[in-house]
Amino acid sequence: MKRNRGIAAFVVAVVAAGGLAACSADSSSSDGSVTISIMEFQQTRIDSIKKVLPGFEAAMKKQGKDIKVKLVADVLTDDQFKTKVTQQLIAGQAPDLIDMGDSLVPGFAGAGYLAPLDDYLDKWDGWDHYYPQFKEAMVRQDGHIYALVHDTGVQNLFYRKDVLTELGIDTSQPATWDDLIARLVEVKEKTGGTPIVIPAGTAWGGSTWTEGFQPILGGTDQDYYDLETGKWDLESSGFAAVFDLYSELYSNGLLPVQDLENPNPWEPTKYVKFPAGEIQVAAQGTSGWKFDWGPNGAAPIPDLTEKVDTWQYPALRSGDEPFGWSGLGSGFAIPEKSEHKDEAMLLAQYLSSGEPLAEQLVSSGAAAPRDDLADVKPYADEPKLLQAGEDLQSSVYVPTGDGAEQIAQAIAAATELIITGAADGKEAYAAFVKDATDLLGPTLVK
Amino acid sequence: MTSITDAPASAAVGIRPPSPKRRSGRRTRHSALLLLLLGPAAVLIAAFIVAPAVYSVYLSFTNTQLTGFAARDPQFVGFDNFVYLLTNADFIASIGHTGEFVLYSAIIGQTVLGMVAALILSRPWIRGKGLYGAAILMPMVVPEVVASLTWASVLSSDSSGTLNQLTGLFGAASTDWLQVVPMASIIAVNIWRGIAFAMIMFQAALEDVPAELIEAARIDGASAVQVFRHVTLPLIRGPVFLYLLLTTISTVGAFGLVYLLTQGGPGGQTRIAAIYIYERALQFSQIGIGSAASIILLAIVLILGFVYVRLAKVEV
Repeated sequence: MKRNRGIAAFVVAVVAAGGLAACSADSSSSDGSVTISIMEFQQTRIDSIKKVLPGFEAAMKKQGKDIKVKLVADVLTDDQFKTKVTQQLIAGQAPDLIDMGDSLVPGFAGAGYLAPLDDYLDKWDGWDHYYPQFKEAMVRQDGHIYALVHDTGVQNLFYRKDVLTELGIDTSQPATWDDLIARLVEVKEKTGGTPIVIPAGTAWGGSTWTEGFQPILGGTDQDYYDLETGKWDLESSGFAAVFDLYSELYSNGLLPVQDLENPNPWEPTKYVKFPAGEIQVAAQGTSGWKFDWGPNGAAPIPDLTEKVDTWQYPALRSGDEPFGWSGLGSGFAIPEKSEHKDEAMLLAQYLSSGEPLAEQLVSSGAAAPRDDLADVKPYADEPKLLQAGEDLQSSVYVPTGDGAEQIAQAIAAATELIITGAADGKEAYAAFVKDATDLLGPTLVK
Repeated sequence: MTSITDAPASAAVGIRPPSPKRRSGRRTRHSALLLLLLGPAAVLIAAFIVAPAVYSVYLSFTNTQLTGFAARDPQFVGFDNFVYLLTNADFIASIGHTGEFVLYSAIIGQTVLGMVAALILSRPWIRGKGLYGAAILMPMVVPEVVASLTWASVLSSDSSGTLNQLTGLFGAASTDWLQVVPMASIIAVNIWRGIAFAMIMFQAALEDVPAELIEAARIDGASAVQVFRHVTLPLIRGPVFLYLLLTTISTVGAFGLVYLLTQGGPGGQTRIAAIYIYERALQFSQIGIGSAASIILLAIVLILGFVYVRLAKVEV
């Protein structure tokens, strides 16, 4: 009996010691080296980061810093990533550097989960090469920068040049949505299909707002959010106009309604029907050239640049001009609770410069947010990405802040009413205003 | 008439009763043993069930969010979250979808088919009971994720999907089952998964039904259906209602199976309450509203449980 008790006590002691050791594990080792972690959740980014990390460790060694990097590679959807990283940030267990979509930054920064980067950026010579409009767009509602944007892009309408030409449809830039709708109706009459996909409904998650609704809204109305007061103007005139546009596309039978309600709506639309030429027009960012339809993309289109081209968004209302929507893409953010902020920032700066950045831009299909990348290979060999970089200068962007997630939620729900036939544009707009007002609360609504 | 009383064993063997001091020592040891045996479980339950539940009730009265400036300073909002939810069409619809899902998959599907399986297996003349029983038990053994992925493959919109291959034999075109009949699909999958548990419970209950009562009813000329309706069923009413209670609770809380198959879509047609809560609390970061929705769901389950217990007079 005594022997059994002894064994039991030993086992308990070992387990307890192991648990405590695990809890207190420090990423600084006794030899002076520091191990930091970086999180990536898209396979193409994982692959490109893997290639450049050894270069960072070598570069740091040259500077006398022994920094090792652990890549936390976790392939997730956008929603899964957000759910996971939110829990990690709250628990203080997030990796030291997180590569996240810029649309997540206001919510995380607002909650105090991210460290402000202003002091680091002021001392970094690479910061001078960032285009001024991006520097400005990175500033959040409280005047600080919380994520170093490393890739950008232009959201346009990608169209199947080959299919439309074969159908005898005009492929010149449509001046207005009326022009474009007339062409799409013609396509529908000839093919019987649904010729255009724009993110809509709840299945597309936050992208219904960021990649569907907001780019069209921003081209006709830039007063829907005031960065100074941090308030949303739900009565801003563009909202009703864009809901009417969605409604018109739906009532003309131009949207692939059933596919938009698929749990992964981008798959039947962007990854099956657009590559097959059955959907001829898709709202899409620069990443379409690589991440979606490039040779190593999710659904490669052979001879992509010959078969596909882009239009700017047509003008929605009288007096508007066609435009491209500038997206901030992804940025590197450091959790406020990270114990290795300095080292993580060194990694962020390394990955946002020169060849490491060029490598990532090409693999994910993005344009550079800085002016010194045009000659850096492999980015220099990508004419479509270079063109996107130039187009960024003239594209539209409306920075927003706290409440963007609630707006995204209300827009998704209201556009869902349209694509399920439950509401027309006016009714969907009314539902949006009610929902958004409830969700935002009195402090965030003008 | 002789009355027999039990003499204390100590008296029978001539042993003196233990002194109060010894009795007290034994009681102390007994209490210590109880504490040792129940203590860890009680601590775990308190830490991982009671405390989170209490915290959830607290959260339901606040506007707590996981992101945004509101996350820094949550405010007490009284019953606002409950009022918002009970006037929110999406939440009401999710409760309706949950009711539909529970009624058709758990209360009707699993219970009826589980009973049929148990009745068949209780027939003495049935051969291959082991194989039959194992086939029905299989869905319960398979992990939820594996079961979901298997059914995603069976119901795939692709022409290579199992169901499409079957319907293709009759010349039917490929159908995206999870898009066209999403609720019927998840109900079918949940029935498939839950039959085993129902069968096991009903089998055990049927074994307790005295064979002589059945035989007597048969001799009196009752048909098989009449025997089941008027003899067997009343005798196993307790286990049946207990099963209904358990399956209702577990189906109301079902999440993984539905989320992996449809994610609540298309167009919210399979957005049952658990998915609504997940979306609100974790995708939209509104923990306060998500917690309030959980509390409402808990209240509904408690009411249903109370009704079941009253109907069956089951001691739980």
